[in-house]
Amino acid sequence: MALKRRRREQVGDDELELVPVMNMFLVLIPFLLLSASFYHIKAINTSVPVLASTSAHSSKTPAKSDAKVTVIVELKDKSVVLTATCDELSYNDLVKLETEIAVKNPDAYPMEDLAQHLLFIKDRYPKSDTLILVPTQQVVYGTIIQTMDTARSKNNAELFPNVVLSGKVG
Amino acid sequence: MALGRNNKKPFNPPKLQLTSMMDMFTIILIFLLFSFSNNPEQMSLDGQMSLPESTSKLDYKDSIRLVLTKNELKLDGNVVATIKGEEVVGLENLYDALKNYRDVADSLKQGVKIGERKEHILFLCDKNHSFKVVNSIVKTAGRAGYPNFQFGVVEKN
Repeated sequence: MALKRRRREQVGDDELELVPVMNMFLVLIPFLLLSASFYHIKAINTSVPVLASTSAHSSKTPAKSDAKVTVIVELKDKSVVLTATCDELSYNDLVKLETEIAVKNPDAYPMEDLAQHLLFIKDRYPKSDTLILVPTQQVVYGTIIQTMDTARSKNNAELFPNVVLSGKVG
Repeated sequence: MALGRNNKKPFNPPKLQLTSMMDMFTIILIFLLFSFSNNPEQMSLDGQMSLPESTSKLDYKDSIRLVLTKNELKLDGNVVATIKGEEVVGLENLYDALKNYRDVADSLKQGVKIGERKEHILFLCDKNHSFKVVNSIVKTAGRAGYPNFQFGVVEKN
């Protein structure tokens, strides 16, 4: 009877020895916190123009909606100029795609207006996928990345995924 | 008298309640271990450098790493040029180093045209640099045979 009581008391007194586990955590957590990163680095694919051999054009003229338009966006100090180039379209068709958007605040380029116009071109020529970005010398890198974001997509709809960065010639 | 009797009671040291602290530490540990497993490869960035934010979801592929901080241009960790105002001093070092990389890559893989090459440069640049500086660097890299880039950005939440 006395033995039973003693055994029951012993079971009640047993406690987990958590101090060594706590010590291990105290070492592990600062180490992991020091090596953890709280920002995620992503990437944007781009290229610079290179000299390439020209490929032979097919004699068949594609339908206008199948034309692949290359959009040229010039980031100037006081405006954003959009022009387009395409072998399959006439001069008049290309002129209709041109526009100039005024920059009211030099720290914030009009990205919403630019996106609207790019969407308009993409709607008319859905096969288009290339945009050449031509900033002036003073435009900062952050603005270039912002313009690339605008050019790639709007509201999850793909616009011009191939963005080529180019300096102004001439 | 009663007070004196109370003082004679044996002192029992209070026991620490570690269970709740253990729970907290376990949660933190699991969170940190998961964030590690999501991003096994980390890159150390210069503290002075601020990358631009972007909506891009594309993961970078590690390749030749070109880092443009406020004052220096580093190629795979080695300083190859410095920035003085809006001029890059020592671009020829960058050209020579990239040309060496190109020659080694070409000797391994012959007969591929420049436009069809898959090698690219991971370019990490401070967001406040002007296009004049960036353009001179990317043009030099293009001339040395690396026209394709991945611009490193911080994911916008």
